[in-house]
Amino acid sequence: MKNEHSHQTTKKFGMVINLDLCTGCGSCMVACMAENNVPFKPDETDKLKSITWMRVYRLTNGKPFPETDVCYLPRPCQHCEGHDGHSPCVSVCPATATDYDSLTGIVSQIYTRCFGCRYCMAACPYHARYFNWYDPVWPDGMEKYLNPNVSPRMRGVVEKCSFCYHRYQAAKDRAYVEGQRDIAEEDYQTACTQACPAGAITFGDLNNPDHAVYKLKQDPRAFRLLERLGTNTKVYYISSKDWVRKAGDNYLPDERPKK
Amino acid sequence: MKIDRRCFLSLAVGAGAGIALSPLPWKLTDDLSIWSQNWPWTPVPKRGEAKTVNSVCTLCPGGCGISVRKIDERAVKIEGMKTHPVNQGGICALGLSGLQLLYGPTRVKGPLKRVGERGKGQWMPISWDEAIREVTDKLTGIRKAGRPQSVAWISGAASNTLNQMLDRFSQAYGTPNGMRLPTLEDAYGLSVSLMNGGNARIGFDFEHAGYVLSLGAGLLDGWGSPVRMFKANTLWKTAGVKLVHVEPRLSRTAAKADTWISVNPGTEAALALAMAHVILKESLYKADFVESYTEKLMDGFRNIVLADFAPEAVAKVTGVDAATITMLAREFAKAKRPIAVCGRGQGTLPGSLDLFFATHALNALVGNINQPGGVWLVREELPSWPDVQPDSVAKAGLGYPRLDGIQTPARISLPNRFIQAVASGKDYPVEALLVIESNPLYTLNDTAMVRQAFSKIPFIVSFSSFMDDTAAWSDLILPNPVYLERTDDVVGVSGFPYPTIALSQPIVKPQCNTRPVGDVLLQIAKGLGDSVAAALAWKDFNACLEASLGERFKSLRKSVVWVDKAYKPAAWDEVFAAERFSFLPNGIAADAAFKPVGIPGDAGGFPLILMAYDTMRLSNGYIGNPPFLTKILEDTVLKQTDGLIEINPKTAKSLGFDEGDRAQIETPKGKAFVKVHLDDGILPGVAAMPRGLGHEAYDAYLAGKGINVNNLMASVNDPVSGFEAAWGIRAKLSKA
Amino acid sequence: MIDAALIPIGVKRCSFGKFLLGLAAVGAVLLWGVYAMLLCWFKGLNQTNMNDYYGFALWIWADLAVIALGGGAFFSGFLKYLTGKDELKNIINYAVLIGFICYSSALLILAIDVGQPLRSWFIFWHANVHSMLTEVAFCLSCYFGVLTIEFIPLILENRQLNKISFFHHLAHNMHEIMAVFAATGAFLSFFHQGSLGGVSGVLFGRPFAYREGLFIWPWTFFLFTWSAAAYGPCFTLMITKITELISGKKLVKDNVIELLAKISGWMMATYIVAKIIDTIYWATVTAPSKGFLVSDFYTNNAFYGFWILIAEILLGGVVPALILITPAGRKNPTARNTAIVLAVIGVCINRWVMVLQTMAAPVMTFDKWALYYPSWQEVATTVLPVAYGAILIMICYRYLPIFPQEPELNPID
Ligand SMILES: Nc1nc2c(c(=O)[nH]1)N[C@H]1C(S)=C(S)[C@@H](COP(=O)(O)OP(=O)(O)OC[C@H]3O[C@@H](n4cnc5c(=O)[nH]c(N)nc54)[C@H](O)[C@@H]3O)O[C@H]1N2
Ligand SMILES: Nc1nc2c(c(=O)[nH]1)N[C@H]1C(S)=C(S)[C@@H](COP(=O)(O)OP(=O)(O)OC[C@H]3O[C@@H](n4cnc5c(=O)[nH]c(N)nc54)[C@H](O)[C@@H]3O)O[C@H]1N2
Ligand code: SF4
Ligand code: SF4
Ligand code: SF4
Ligand code: SF4
Ligand code: SF4
Repeated sequence: MKNEHSHQTTKKFGMVINLDLCTGCGSCMVACMAENNVPFKPDETDKLKSITWMRVYRLTNGKPFPETDVCYLPRPCQHCEGHDGHSPCVSVCPATATDYDSLTGIVSQIYTRCFGCRYCMAACPYHARYFNWYDPVWPDGMEKYLNPNVSPRMRGVVEKCSFCYHRYQAAKDRAYVEGQRDIAEEDYQTACTQACPAGAITFGDLNNPDHAVYKLKQDPRAFRLLERLGTNTKVYYISSKDWVRKAGDNYLPDERPKK
Repeated sequence: MKIDRRCFLSLAVGAGAGIALSPLPWKLTDDLSIWSQNWPWTPVPKRGEAKTVNSVCTLCPGGCGISVRKIDERAVKIEGMKTHPVNQGGICALGLSGLQLLYGPTRVKGPLKRVGERGKGQWMPISWDEAIREVTDKLTGIRKAGRPQSVAWISGAASNTLNQMLDRFSQAYGTPNGMRLPTLEDAYGLSVSLMNGGNARIGFDFEHAGYVLSLGAGLLDGWGSPVRMFKANTLWKTAGVKLVHVEPRLSRTAAKADTWISVNPGTEAALALAMAHVILKESLYKADFVESYTEKLMDGFRNIVLADFAPEAVAKVTGVDAATITMLAREFAKAKRPIAVCGRGQGTLPGSLDLFFATHALNALVGNINQPGGVWLVREELPSWPDVQPDSVAKAGLGYPRLDGIQTPARISLPNRFIQAVASGKDYPVEALLVIESNPLYTLNDTAMVRQAFSKIPFIVSFSSFMDDTAAWSDLILPNPVYLERTDDVVGVSGFPYPTIALSQPIVKPQCNTRPVGDVLLQIAKGLGDSVAAALAWKDFNACLEASLGERFKSLRKSVVWVDKAYKPAAWDEVFAAERFSFLPNGIAADAAFKPVGIPGDAGGFPLILMAYDTMRLSNGYIGNPPFLTKILEDTVLKQTDGLIEINPKTAKSLGFDEGDRAQIETPKGKAFVKVHLDDGILPGVAAMPRGLGHEAYDAYLAGKGINVNNLMASVNDPVSGFEAAWGIRAKLSKA
Repeated sequence: MIDAALIPIGVKRCSFGKFLLGLAAVGAVLLWGVYAMLLCWFKGLNQTNMNDYYGFALWIWADLAVIALGGGAFFSGFLKYLTGKDELKNIINYAVLIGFICYSSALLILAIDVGQPLRSWFIFWHANVHSMLTEVAFCLSCYFGVLTIEFIPLILENRQLNKISFFHHLAHNMHEIMAVFAATGAFLSFFHQGSLGGVSGVLFGRPFAYREGLFIWPWTFFLFTWSAAAYGPCFTLMITKITELISGKKLVKDNVIELLAKISGWMMATYIVAKIIDTIYWATVTAPSKGFLVSDFYTNNAFYGFWILIAEILLGGVVPALILITPAGRKNPTARNTAIVLAVIGVCINRWVMVLQTMAAPVMTFDKWALYYPSWQEVATTVLPVAYGAILIMICYRYLPIFPQEPELNPID
């Protein structure tokens, strides 16, 4: 079968997360940690020093009992495109240790290049970046489960969600070996997407009309976080609740979200 | 040559310039950064051949299929098995953390014998031969002395065959005191058999339901088969199926429900009965089912419900106004394929039967039993084993009453009553206790009483894979391999409507010097000789599995799971021909059946109600929380080692508390120091703490974090069944 | 005195023993700082109270503050060599010394602050031209080089070193071409002071800090340069005053002080007008366009209130500027010194706010304010440069003719 979009080389990988479905169970967080060799410490209760590439926030509508409502919002790196690939974080990194890949739209992080100045963290309004304040330590024997496709990070560097870039590479390899020109939607899926028991996360090429995300992002209930800042993110959220959509961005008291 | 100051200085400057221009400093700078990129103490995972092996997760009753990615001999990632009908590729946070259990620091590395005082953590490694001999000698001695009834076991094993084997062991050895830890499945099983007749597992065809009413069931907090429930909820949301959830606290289930009914704690059954009241009064029930297939409606059930459960009266009890109750009842009765479901939280404790009766009565009123999108009765058919031939010693032992007061042969166990009996020392003593895949010292309510009971048992053997709270308090540990290293059968999946049989199999070689409980039990039986050896004559546990699974054993090794997706529940004519559905449970007095279970403690001294809740981010049973799961716990639940107690800001204000304040929580059963967390999503006057924290054993990643809410809970026996029925306890929160 | 031969001619110094005692006291503080620094290097930045919300904290503030205060060197140099304010030769040495201390401290702090100091040269090797920090790194290092060159002739003025004819001539020749360096320094400073302002101004993800601007440079770029030029001399004056108090001598004539104070005052006045315009524009146009009321940045938290804005702009800007531009104000020592202290505090608050309040203020609606207090290791490493500066000043003051007017003002009888 001929693929109509085969000449399309510029991909824009992204997510659409349906907040109506997300139950806040945390599978995505753990799936990410297990896939990407994210370390853990005996005490992880200081959330300002706890590496979670994917973090599920709990939003509340601020109303008293029993009108209280909550919504869970999973937050991976938003892989901001900014203006022309000038993501908030990429544009500030002095050592080019994080980069915007115009072929995939993925914001990379090169741990061995990073020298830990943390300017990128200051730049990211989503707190998607984490610093290795400590040496990563796995209890004796536990290093056996480390994934060889993702290098563990040393102390003193910043890390963040990579959209499981190693899976993209593996998918490309497979496609190449199998003689395909392009990788199919199901060939490259992130660990969090796969794990989510609620099927709340959809991942794919936002540029490709054949991919589910292409249509989902056009849902009238879809929004992105902090759109007004011009971060131009590639993670969309869907919620049927007005208050949740409003919580996605900042509005002056007399303003309303467009959708 | 005389070196003057000037000459010296020029030499120095020259040397400096020379070094700077030489490759040395540059090379050194470069090497140092390369070293910093390859610090030897930062591990580099070895590469190798990748493959994927399928199995079944047994960390909870969910029965999910898992695909484990391996690199050479290392398991590196657990994922959901895409083709498994239960979880369809999804997986929960605990299941994802399984490798931390496999490779974790809490594993018991080999058989251990206690050398110091009990619970002091002094152990001596011993060989398996010695360990098995210790147990065999002890059990032989007790049996020789003619007191086989004084040997007991507590099992939380997932394996059907292992539990069957334990029963068989009891029969042959001669003890009536085998305790399986009951859950909501047992409560459902019992209530269904008392109303429907027969024995069956209850299943819910949630995927085809048109309306779901949850009476406290944590459908999205780990109830039943958790991943399957998440998938079902997604179906409901996409298809516009309404989910109504009744609970005093805004749990995750409540948060995702279309309607959250914040009810007074412990009054869910009353709400269900008030709904029945409206349905009966307005004749909204399904007449064709009710008239032809049920009994005791008009004469019994109707009278009670109409007399005692008018919405206006129930509104006072439940805090839910009469209009809402009426609206709910109409909605439920008029919906297509409505399901009512109950069980508190995850249902790890069975609970009181009144709630099960009331819930099941609602399903019967709308005729949604054994119908598409309804409540199904399911059975998994397995080959049965030949009967045991007990010898005279065994017969004498079996003649003793069970310590939990259940008639033999027992279909359920009441470990709560067993513990009460042992602690009180009234009946006969327990001389040896075998603990299999359970952590009763932690998971049972009123842990102080459990400890008291355990201190009266001179010989406790733990078969735990982990140094858990009970293992730490035993005399001998014979470690079981973990689920990724052994073979187990899993029959049925909690709440799943299709007959399912699965085989959990080894993914990696055993990492520690462990032996499967089944094998050890067979070796002990052999050592005991006589009728015990004869009853358990299999060569190993795999042979046993083959005996109970028959032909399937081989095919399951490949396919992992067998599901009868074509299964259709028996038609009404078939099920309710001989025995009609009874709105009043058979053999239970009408006034007793729907009597709510009270709460321990007096309201005067203890103005608040403390409830324990379940969350997907805390494993609260035999399996202790792995590090990843603890890592994703909210800082409103655990902060450093402090457990947080959740109360409404109104409650906080009346008690003078602010977010994060230290406090002492006190119940009639004990007290503990906590921090206060304010949340609008909880009924004023109620305080909530999660199950799963406050372990005394395990490792630095879990031990000593938060408090075990079971320490503060009293054990309350359900007057109908005897099941653990506590849903809360009166409490007092004071400044600390 | 054992070191009498090294002490400049025509001035009097305390006994060597007393000097050593002073060195030892400050040295103890220095060692404390060095210990903390080593902890950070060997155990990592977990020794600090920084966290993932505070990637930038006390140190970066100290860096920015110290560089702003060190701005006295480039601006005095600019005034003396390029605009011909020759009186300033009487304070330029000290301004250079203070600048040298500030900039070397800044570099040291940066070397402690980064997570991988051994790779910090990647900033040059893998430079990203879009990053303000790259601009900072390049200009800062270059300007530090310039300051070193400006500082060398001063060292060579030492009585004994100056006896060596090579050094004597070197110093002389360097003095001759110092205008070139001063010009280079001023140019470089213009950029790095500016790029330091740019560091937070470009953060378009952080509406508290973000500012529009000219070409690639946000307004904070220009405001920082300007404020460094305005406030740097005040710091030079403040340290001079402190040195005078400690040594118990008048070291610089009042006309010199007043001239610098006057220039500083006028710079400050113009700066603060610009700053007020910037603040008004930010509060009424920039922030609201991102959905923020300016009050969002100053309420709902335990520390940052409008007081800090008032303290920075009014007390640390308008008030000292008014005092210094009025002749009566700057001629009255009490008023002048008060203005100088207020100004130094004011610029420090500005740098604090641009770094720490930027980190503290939530951006996502469901995020919370994050407050932070430094660990002792951070405080110690921040004090370290102060101790190091004090020691360098003590040594230079004792052995180098820093204050040309000292012999005249304090004749030895
Ligand atoms: N099947 C297949 N094979 C390929 C290719 C392909 O597309 N498909 N591409 C080929 C090409 S073009 C190339 S360049 C190679 C690349 O092949 P590799 O060099 O193996 O490249 P990666 O897999 O990108 O990186 C390997 C590891 O290095 C870690 N790493 C990243 N930065 C650093 C660093 O600075 N220092 C150290 N020590 N480690 C670092 C990464 O986290 C990763 O774990 O693969 C070639 N092989
Ligand atoms: N974020 C990120 N970006 C990276 C990298 C990374 O690790 N991370 N790796 C970098 C590296 S090392 C490399 S080499 C590049 C690779 O980047 P590219 O060179 O873009 O590599 P591919 O996308 O694998 O291949 C390009 C195209 O060539 C087509 N192709 C295959 N065989 C042939 C052929 O015989 N003839 C022709 N005409 N076309 C053919 C493929 O179908 C594909 O469309 O990516 C770089 N970009
Ligand atoms: S795994 Fe899915 S449902 Fe669970 S928290 Fe993540 S996105 Fe939400
Ligand atoms: S979310 Fe943060 S880290 Fe990710 S691309 Fe955007 S700015 Fe960068
Ligand atoms: S911390 Fe690393 S990735 Fe971030 S800006 Fe600095 S060098 Fe770049
Ligand atoms: S996409 Fe991959 S790296 Fe990013 S959050 Fe999901 S699992 Fe983690
Ligand atoms: S839901 Fe239960 S069975 Fe399924 S993966 Fe989680 S722990 Fe395992």
